[in-house]
Amino acid sequence: MGYVAVRGGSEAVARAEELVECLRLLGGSTPLQLPQIRDQLRHAVSRAMHEGALYAPLLAALAVKQAEGDSIEAAFLLRAYRTTLPRVMASLPVSGREMFCLRRISASFKDIPGGQMLGPATDYLIRLLQPALAHEDVRAVIAAAERYAALVEAGKPQPGAWGRFPKVTEYMRQEQMIVDVPAEPAREEPFDITREPLTFPCPRSARLQAMAQADTGSLMSLAYSSTRGYGDAHPTLVELRYGYLPVHVAHPLTGEPVTIGEIEATEAEIASKAHSVTNHAEPPRFNVGYGFAFGQSELKVMSMAILDSVLTQARIGSLAGESGPAANEEFVLLHTDGIEASGFVAHYKLPHYVTFAADLSVLDRARDHHAQRQSRLGQLVDQALTSDSR
Amino acid sequence: MLTTSHILSCSPPHLVCALAEQVLARYDRDAVTFISGPRCVLVQLRMIEGVAETVFNAGEILVTETRLELAGQFGFGMVIGRDPDHATALAVLDAALRMPGDPHADLRPRIAELGQALSAAYERRFAAAAATRVEFETF
Repeated sequence: MGYVAVRGGSEAVARAEELVECLRLLGGSTPLQLPQIRDQLRHAVSRAMHEGALYAPLLAALAVKQAEGDSIEAAFLLRAYRTTLPRVMASLPVSGREMFCLRRISASFKDIPGGQMLGPATDYLIRLLQPALAHEDVRAVIAAAERYAALVEAGKPQPGAWGRFPKVTEYMRQEQMIVDVPAEPAREEPFDITREPLTFPCPRSARLQAMAQADTGSLMSLAYSSTRGYGDAHPTLVELRYGYLPVHVAHPLTGEPVTIGEIEATEAEIASKAHSVTNHAEPPRFNVGYGFAFGQSELKVMSMAILDSVLTQARIGSLAGESGPAANEEFVLLHTDGIEASGFVAHYKLPHYVTFAADLSVLDRARDHHAQRQSRLGQLVDQALTSDSR
Repeated sequence: MLTTSHILSCSPPHLVCALAEQVLARYDRDAVTFISGPRCVLVQLRMIEGVAETVFNAGEILVTETRLELAGQFGFGMVIGRDPDHATALAVLDAALRMPGDPHADLRPRIAELGQALSAAYERRFAAAAATRVEFETF
């Protein structure tokens, strides 16, 4: 085998892409339509959108189809598409309290204003496969419409009852239960990681933006490590809400707010155990973290909120015991972006013939050296050097 | 209470386009001058986080935007998603509703009707979720 620099392979690359397309359809099943993916694979579409940092459900469905269900690849496609469009403005700041909630739960307080609604959730089901799903046809669609009408009836629609509720953290703030996040130098605009390089320590707005587009699995793994013993997180869910969030922009002529539609979104606040912060003159409070994602993405926002809380605790120096990698902001933010991480790992599939040729030459020299050291003379010299160093 | 822009951006696009068609029927074809669009662009979503109520950039939203003049009156339309007809209809209606002397006042009752239908849809949407409300038993 020779190790040399190469070029070429364009035809093979084109045919490889062709083969992917063929294999996707050769099974003979009906090609997937985008509305089917958007409606019936909601979580895959949500994940592509929040990790791709672009809210566009139908395009996300296209990305999921093109990536054949690979969530990181789908997010990559969306993020790449995003770079082809100009950004014309930022929305007016919107709070989760404007959300029309379909789901709202708290593990901290039993009685929250407006009550708790489980909404669309499978958390409480036994994980058994449902064979009936394998044989669904149009009758299932009709039956779903009837069941939905029955649910609406059971929920008793009332004028003006659209699902808007105060945030549980508002009550906690009033009661001075929440630790103040560390003060930061004032900025006119929140940090934008798509325009400015991240430097550490970074503003909390940069941390939240980076985690909002981070890989769900990476965030979950680090959040889990911190709760399991490689850290100091003791989380309790203050509130998790999912629903429709209206988005407003400023009218370019008058500046007045203009609503441009609604997006599906999930957000969570998670409290960590009480502590007395660094200023022991202040009464103990809870440290609370925040998580947000497009679509219905509960593990993502909970993991993000846990990490936000851990990183704030690390910043104010109130961590107890082992801090673990989840408390290192640079480690967390630079290793949880799925697109960057997957790109770096995947690039090792590309030819590295020149690099490896250099490695081989180093290996040859190391082997020669090793053989020399194995000779009688080499062993005597090594022995003499070792005893000399003592 | 839903605002006019909320009603028009969240109502079924074909109904909003029908309203815009009514407006356009009162003008010559050359009364409309496109300034920009309809075009797909991005809007950065600014969220207020729930802990300290500070603002951060949460990701971008694909929108369609149209800016035009209708008989010299500026109109702006923006809607989430790819829908050039809806965005242009919003711009036409924005211009029509801003005209001095309110010559399109007859649009307002139609918009109010759309608002009532949207409110009813929201009430039904929430009622389905409200059916899953938890009633805790305390031991």
